[in-house]
Amino acid sequence: MSEKYMVEPDLQFIDDVMGLGGESLKKCFQCATCSVACPIAPENKPFPRKEMIAASWGLKDKLVGNGDIWLCHNCGDCSTLCPRGAKPGDVLAALRSYAITEYAKPKAIGKMVNDPKKFWTLTAVPAVIFALLAIMTIFGGNFMAGIFGGELWYHTPDGNPYAGIAASNFISSWFVDLIFVPLAIFVVTVFALGLKNFIADMHKNALLEGKTSKDKIDVKEFLLALKNVVPKIAKHKQFTQCGENRERSTAHMMVLFSFIGLFIVTSVVFVGVYFLHQGTPYSQLNPIKWLANVSGVALLIGGALMVKQRLDKKEDQVSSYKDWYLLGLVLTIGGTGMLTEMSRLAGSAFFCYTFYYVHLISVFHLFAYLPYSKMAHIVYRTVAMTYAEYGERK
Amino acid sequence: MDKKYCTYICTGCGIGEALNIEKVAEAAKEKGYDCKIHPCLCSEEGVEFLKKDVADGINALSIAACSRRVNFDIFRFDGCVVDRVSLREGVAWSHSREDFPAPTEEQADDETFVDNIQHLAEDYVRMGVARLEKITVPEPYKLENFNRNILVIGGGVTGLTAAVEAADAGYNVTVVEKEEKLGGYAAKMRKQIPMGDYTRGLVDPVVDTLIEKAQNNSKITIKTSTLVARIAGQPGDFTVTFKKPGEKIEFDVPMAVPEEQRYDEKGNPLDVDQIREIYDKINEGRADVLTIDPNGEPFAGVVLAAGWRPAEIDAEKYAHLGVGSKDVITNHQFEELAAQGKITRPSDGKPAKNVVFIQSPGMDEGDADFEYAGSVTSMVALKQAKYVRDDYADGKAYVIYQHMRTPGLMEDFYKEIQQDRGIFLTKGAVTQVAENADALAVSAEGTLLGNDVTIKADLVVLAAGMVPATKDDPVVNLAYRQGPGFRDIGIFDGYADSNFICFPYETQRTGVYSAGAVRRSMTIEESTEDARGAALKAIQAIESANRGTAVHPRSGDMTFPDFFFQRCTQCKRCTEECPFGALDDDEKGTPKPNPTRCRRCGTCMGACPERIIGFADYNIDSIGSMVKSIWVPSDWDFDPPPLRILGLVCENDALPALDMAALHKKSIHPYVRIIPVRCLGSVNVVWIKDALSQGMDGVFMLGCKHGDDYQCHFVKGSELMDVRTYKMGETLMSLGLEEERVEQFEVAIDDYDKVSDMINGFVEKIESLGPNPFKGF
Repeated sequence: MSEKYMVEPDLQFIDDVMGLGGESLKKCFQCATCSVACPIAPENKPFPRKEMIAASWGLKDKLVGNGDIWLCHNCGDCSTLCPRGAKPGDVLAALRSYAITEYAKPKAIGKMVNDPKKFWTLTAVPAVIFALLAIMTIFGGNFMAGIFGGELWYHTPDGNPYAGIAASNFISSWFVDLIFVPLAIFVVTVFALGLKNFIADMHKNALLEGKTSKDKIDVKEFLLALKNVVPKIAKHKQFTQCGENRERSTAHMMVLFSFIGLFIVTSVVFVGVYFLHQGTPYSQLNPIKWLANVSGVALLIGGALMVKQRLDKKEDQVSSYKDWYLLGLVLTIGGTGMLTEMSRLAGSAFFCYTFYYVHLISVFHLFAYLPYSKMAHIVYRTVAMTYAEYGERK
Repeated sequence: MDKKYCTYICTGCGIGEALNIEKVAEAAKEKGYDCKIHPCLCSEEGVEFLKKDVADGINALSIAACSRRVNFDIFRFDGCVVDRVSLREGVAWSHSREDFPAPTEEQADDETFVDNIQHLAEDYVRMGVARLEKITVPEPYKLENFNRNILVIGGGVTGLTAAVEAADAGYNVTVVEKEEKLGGYAAKMRKQIPMGDYTRGLVDPVVDTLIEKAQNNSKITIKTSTLVARIAGQPGDFTVTFKKPGEKIEFDVPMAVPEEQRYDEKGNPLDVDQIREIYDKINEGRADVLTIDPNGEPFAGVVLAAGWRPAEIDAEKYAHLGVGSKDVITNHQFEELAAQGKITRPSDGKPAKNVVFIQSPGMDEGDADFEYAGSVTSMVALKQAKYVRDDYADGKAYVIYQHMRTPGLMEDFYKEIQQDRGIFLTKGAVTQVAENADALAVSAEGTLLGNDVTIKADLVVLAAGMVPATKDDPVVNLAYRQGPGFRDIGIFDGYADSNFICFPYETQRTGVYSAGAVRRSMTIEESTEDARGAALKAIQAIESANRGTAVHPRSGDMTFPDFFFQRCTQCKRCTEECPFGALDDDEKGTPKPNPTRCRRCGTCMGACPERIIGFADYNIDSIGSMVKSIWVPSDWDFDPPPLRILGLVCENDALPALDMAALHKKSIHPYVRIIPVRCLGSVNVVWIKDALSQGMDGVFMLGCKHGDDYQCHFVKGSELMDVRTYKMGETLMSLGLEEERVEQFEVAIDDYDKVSDMINGFVEKIESLGPNPFKGF
């Protein structure tokens, strides 16, 4: 710890973090109330005080690769108790957002995702793609079926298009997956590249600040640590330690589990479609459909609760674009998903397809921009928590 | 004065229940004077009762009721001498009949029974009458020549504010400024820290409007490029000689003999004549203090607002800070740079965009700041950090401090600066400032950043403090025998201050009131407020001199020391010991009193071995007679005889503490007889000798704390008494008395819970020593 640290404040960094919801960061006068108040900060080098100081000094190098910013669950106890209104919880959220943009390459997309002015540009991409695909499906369906055979093209046993209203009659499942499968590969690649740097930086920072018991990262051990972390996340153990914002735990859990539920549904449907020629829609009696419905409703309720909580806490918590973007997306996905299903059952092809179109656009948003949006926390936080577990951060 | 005496005993507030009033009255009548008893003297009817007697010719009243500290306005009768015998606080309340039971009927007739409380009360009324016999109604001292002009030394913010305020109050003011221009340091700054609303960031210096205001005021005369050569005389009648800087004139003030020249080669103190010889030698060619400049200008009071100079940073002492390098400068030099334009490096003139402000030297100095640094230097660092940001959008200013002091609402200013994204503040100890090829590197440890850090800097600014002008030079140049400046009592580091809380603006020289940075380092806003206070104090002193009364703390006291010069031996003890330099002496060494310089503490009276100094209502004889009127029983009277212990108690702190102890029903031993004194400095050892030689068993003094945290209203009273007590010890030993029979205690006004234990402990000690062997002779 005695080696000299060259201080090189980055004024642009300060501006950026302030712009991402950390506008109060310079108010910190280093009293350490936050670190004392934080129910989940470890005893050794507790956060968020050191992060607050580093942030107010513009020390990007101490923050971007700092695993501790991810251990914070933004429960807000520190912000409520801060005597200076420096809102450490929101500053850490802004730092996380900054770190996401920093690790997700290309950075240009990350910048756009965090820029409200670029929202419609980003939306236009899937809107155009899916509009084209819809046209191709509607007008070129027979042509494609002619080439590939109806059974393969329509995923129906009889080789004819599904009689009645079906999503695949509007945009073919082939087309949809032709977009989302490569997108998934892209997302995984972006995350992989980001994580590689992230883990290296996090380890370097931990060594420098004396926050780890390990000298080198052992991949196997590291992955084993994940085993201990997953149940923690599933049970929302960190959340429930919060004093200020405990009710958020339930909402967050609903959203998390409904995403997991929908992921399962999507996977089952994918297998059904491509390997068993089981086309959609499924019968309402199908257990998969039950899971899909329950998840959809839970997503909506969870998302709505989170919006309500943010609105209730306007005074104590900063809600910036990055937060509303993600919550908006969650609600849109859940909402359009349910509405698509309901209008289909109600027999209105127009409404069903319109909602489906919007649904696809929002899902594209969520997926394509996942490594760049706040949603990326699902990966970074998991990895940081795993590293903390592995490095015995106490 | 032809006196007609009467003692009035009040039986209210529990006095009547505690005492046999008839017997107390008999004691009061012992000298053949009248004594009357009243159930409530302070009531309307009681006062009428007294007034009627005064109208009938009574003019020496001993009011045996409550403490002199209460109802003093009620028991005041023009043309009469009044003594207050404290039967309530001094007897009834401090000696509960539960602890000291009243005699039963049997005991009352028993001659061998000792009722200590009754004895105490009887002694006190005797002492009251004894005092009345020795005091007269004071007549105020009137100056022959009196004027009302105020002299303000210093033409900065403080001086100009004081001048404007005093002129607005109707006084003629002269401002002297040693430099060519008015405005002082404030006129040389780029910006100043905010006043009033501290959230509005830096503001333009306010001094220009102040200069204009002073220049346009017809009651204010301004003399620039002028120094005060000497101020002779006394408040209400000063004669001031001015001169140009650098001039040497006849009326340059005589200097005092420096401490080191007051001893011979062997280290023995020189006698007064030898010191006078040296004095005359070093002051050759200068007119004596008693010579008045015929061309001098008359003034009545002085406001000293001489301000400050930037401290120098010792290159050798702070070698690790790179002092000496062109790009390591003081905050003062930085201010000069900033006032000229954009901040650049002195070495190469390039923009200084990275500036480190170092507030504390670090290294061997621990967490100390630079000399004379304080809250102002903290706020100046914040201000100057903002200059860097104002000059360069990508500028960065770092402040490394051990203490960041932004008192009161200045916190808002701190917040404002702290929130600038390019200003970085941290506590820390600077270990080194290294000079690299193109920049300086400042290293610090123990910072808030958690590790040792190095910061690249274009410019390093050290927080040099504000040295009061009075540190280098007396400035006021008083033609006083004790010397031209304020006596250095070793605790004010050259600041012209007296005692922080009790007496703001006051110096050790009556009529001279200090304000602004000469008193302690201050911001412009604080100096402005300070100047008003000092101006008011000067006016108060002038008007007190006009009425012939004392200034604070004995405000309104019309007495002044009277000298019986025929018996003076020219020992100069009074001249030397006077805390306020009120006494000059002529060539023969005879003291020359200056009554309006005097604060009536009586230190001269305590110092005088010939006992020729006294006040109309407070003198050697008045206290001595009180001591002598105490009945000291011997074993002829009682076996064993009750002891008698004298307590000489300072009326400023110790007496209020005793009264409060009485209010809390804290008992003090009834052997003790209390006599209040103006200050322990006024206690003449003859009183102690009187007490012991008449058989009293012990004497204690209760005075204020002395030393670094002294609380004496007259600077040195309790300290002087300590020395006298010590010397007294030797005399006692030679008489065969234990030196422990005389002791001095320090007590603060809020020590009411401790004071009775202090006294009772002393009584126990005397009891263990046994009675005074001289008793009964």
